[in-house]
Amino acid sequence: MTILLMLAAIAFSTALLVLLCRGDPKRRRTLRQSGKGHGPALRRLLVALSLLPGVGYAVAGDAAAVLIWFGGYAVVGWFVTLSAAQWQDG
Amino acid sequence: MIHLPKHETKLMVAVHGWSGILLGLLLYAVVTTGMAAVFAEEIGTWSAGHVSYQSAFERPFADDLRRLSAQTPAKYHEGADLFEMGDHDMGVFFHRHETEPDGELVSRGVYYQLGKDGQVTDRQFGTGEEIFGPRNDTALSSFLVDTHVRLHVPNPWGLLLTGILGLSMLVAAISGLLIHRHLFKDVFTLRRKANPVLFNRDRHSVAGTWSLPFAFILAFTGSFFSFFGTIGVPIVAMAAFGGDVQALNEAVFGTPGKPDPRPVAIGNLDRVATDSIRRAGDVPTFMTIENFGRADAKVTTFHAPTNGGLAPVSLLYDGAKASFIATKPLIGPKPSAGGTLAAIMSPLHFGNFAGLLSKAVWFGLGFAMCYVTFTGLKLWLVRRAAQARSLDWLDRTVTIVGLGLPFALVVCAAAFLIALPLGSTVYWTPTAFLIASTTVIAGGFLWPTSAGFSRLLQLATAGLMIALPPLRLLTGGPGWATALAAGQPIIPALDVAFLLAGGWMIWRVRDSRPHRDSDTLPSLQAAE
Repeated sequence: MTILLMLAAIAFSTALLVLLCRGDPKRRRTLRQSGKGHGPALRRLLVALSLLPGVGYAVAGDAAAVLIWFGGYAVVGWFVTLSAAQWQDG
Repeated sequence: MIHLPKHETKLMVAVHGWSGILLGLLLYAVVTTGMAAVFAEEIGTWSAGHVSYQSAFERPFADDLRRLSAQTPAKYHEGADLFEMGDHDMGVFFHRHETEPDGELVSRGVYYQLGKDGQVTDRQFGTGEEIFGPRNDTALSSFLVDTHVRLHVPNPWGLLLTGILGLSMLVAAISGLLIHRHLFKDVFTLRRKANPVLFNRDRHSVAGTWSLPFAFILAFTGSFFSFFGTIGVPIVAMAAFGGDVQALNEAVFGTPGKPDPRPVAIGNLDRVATDSIRRAGDVPTFMTIENFGRADAKVTTFHAPTNGGLAPVSLLYDGAKASFIATKPLIGPKPSAGGTLAAIMSPLHFGNFAGLLSKAVWFGLGFAMCYVTFTGLKLWLVRRAAQARSLDWLDRTVTIVGLGLPFALVVCAAAFLIALPLGSTVYWTPTAFLIASTTVIAGGFLWPTSAGFSRLLQLATAGLMIALPPLRLLTGGPGWATALAAGQPIIPALDVAFLLAGGWMIWRVRDSRPHRDSDTLPSLQAAE
């Protein structure tokens, strides 16, 4: 595991989490935004893609990287939700 | 997700809420200090201005150790522990294991601290607990760790208390999982303009959902550490070793072998250190020698996990010959699932298995746990806002602890920096915490509104955070150029972190709108 590769992996997942957040149907409904958001198939695909780096690290048998990536995924997911709420309020 | 019958859901909501409200404030204190304690080592370096980067194990120390052993009564040669102290100085503790009249097992002996030139800079006699208390350069990090580990309550009660708090966190995590009907559907839903109940519910559940797997991990490993020595070891010792804790320690953690008490000079420990660094890929964090000066002397070196691994590495050497024997499991003579599980408890709890990156992630997770605990308490209160008058004291208490604790910790850091050159940090660090806490408690109950006091506390904390880096420089701490030139980027990094955190808090307070506060919006709606 290199730090740069790990940061790239977390950045990749972050980008997909931002997409997931923007198209989240429940979020859009509660904010009364136009459009229905992503369909179930697209959401599943995006979730699977966002988890890819963790799966890759697990297949490589790098337990430390799996934990760091998963912890980073959790923190970033929370921050993405907080930031989206902040941004939507202007 | 998991769908429970209505009455069971109600029961779980009650368990979740009451376990949180009864122990939530103490749990918040443990989690907040734990979050900061992730960087205890770095905070120690930053606060004390340590600029050395070469490990004490990378310098020759074998001859110094032989000299010290000759000065130390032979009865304390039963064990010798070597570790880094202060600014990469070498600490050596020659000791033997003794059982106190109250049955407590202690290590008693002579402690030496060696400077970088190999000269003794400190010599003390006593038990490990007496010798390894806070020191002038470690008072701040020790205070943080002590608060997290046992809330400054004497052992074993402090450990039992934090163990129970860990279990309550586990209960809250499990009950939270069971009562949340739309765990994944709500994971991005955060309604900032909703009524206070929905607003606080969203804040609590979003942070709780994202950090849920780690809430289990941190709560379980934390409880494990608290109960391991206070309940686990005595019970196993009673059941299998007739109450002899020392026999248990030797059987479980010691090195098996036929005793050979013939006096034989210790081998070249510099060679052991060099070899262990080559094998483990990193300097030892700790080195222990059993039966120093005997033919059956054994040296064990402890190292951080290797790249990609989670379990710390232990290497076993023949002490007399200074030759490598084997990689040693944490528990027992052979690798086992239990031994591996026990070995990964520490990295899983402290997040120290991959340097600063894993620590930073664990810090973020700790922040999420603090947020979940604090917003959970707020949610419980706003749901009962109809009884606002009778629960006003609790609302104020939540503000006092929730925002007063970070404030008192930052005051502590400022007091440490001022007292460091005077050599009185051991006194002033906890004293400043007590003074700040008392002020916050008095202010919290006397201030006209909880919301106003909350803003004041946040601004004061932010201002102090911004003041810490200049205060560090004014009190003689190394500048950024000196720290970077000495290979200690953590000092400027923490300075920047404090400046950014302070700036972010001021921005948050300015951005916050009073209508969101529970004090100003007492009319509520159902959350579910």
